[in-house]
Amino acid sequence: MIPLEHYLILSGILFTLGLAGVMMRRNVILVLMSVEIMLNAANVALVAFNKHLKVVTPDGVVAPDGQVFVFFTIAVAAAEAAVALVIAMALFRRLDTVNVDDVANLRW
Amino acid sequence: MEGAMFYVFGALAVLCTLFTITAKNPVYSALWMIGSFAATAAVFVLLDAFLIATVEVLVYAGAIMVLFLFVIMLINLRAEEQQGLRLSPLAILAALVFLTLLGKAVNDLGPAVRSRPNDLVGTPAALAESMFTRYVVPFEAVSMLLLAAILGTVVLSRRKSQA
Repeated sequence: MIPLEHYLILSGILFTLGLAGVMMRRNVILVLMSVEIMLNAANVALVAFNKHLKVVTPDGVVAPDGQVFVFFTIAVAAAEAAVALVIAMALFRRLDTVNVDDVANLRW
Repeated sequence: MEGAMFYVFGALAVLCTLFTITAKNPVYSALWMIGSFAATAAVFVLLDAFLIATVEVLVYAGAIMVLFLFVIMLINLRAEEQQGLRLSPLAILAALVFLTLLGKAVNDLGPAVRSRPNDLVGTPAALAESMFTRYVVPFEAVSMLLLAAILGTVVLSRRKSQA
């Protein structure tokens, strides 16, 4: 039986890799992919907690709340990816670049 | 047996993710990421989350990554514009500090994590019952969110001349 900690450590490593990708990649599409990696890492933690912690509904059944949350996360990730990729396309059409350093007009 | 499977697929997920963020060519990154999602789906199976594993493969590895590949192909970067990981000491330090803090948080979880795992908590039937009773309002909210995303995509992708 794998203890909960090991799943959480896996989730933490994946999240950190996503974070490093966001900070160190300059291609806007790779930055978006790193954000997806971070969302997916959070899903691992949610499913692991769902397996190991008892959440009992008023009816007395063990509720799969963590997995329901993962469903919502996946839906939100899909919506986010669609909109963000269209923004990346518009950026490329307008400025002919996908490098995030070239699009720093709003930075103070 | 289950233990060995977890470490195999966990290591696979970490390796694929590492190659995703280091690959120079965005197409390779996308392909590695599909491997990462497949390995994560296997980890979900080990946690008895069978429906989530299916959805992970269908939606993440299927739909979202095809969308990414499609946009990468449309943008079609010239070879000299491709660049891999730009190593920055500050970013590496920040990531390591973050990982250390996460490790500390996991270490401090206390007695909750020692509990015996639940038997088969997330069958598709139980998941559906929970989603359409206690979580029916968030479920409808997500459908509105997806509608808004569709509309936003259509509006943003229109060319200037048509607007």
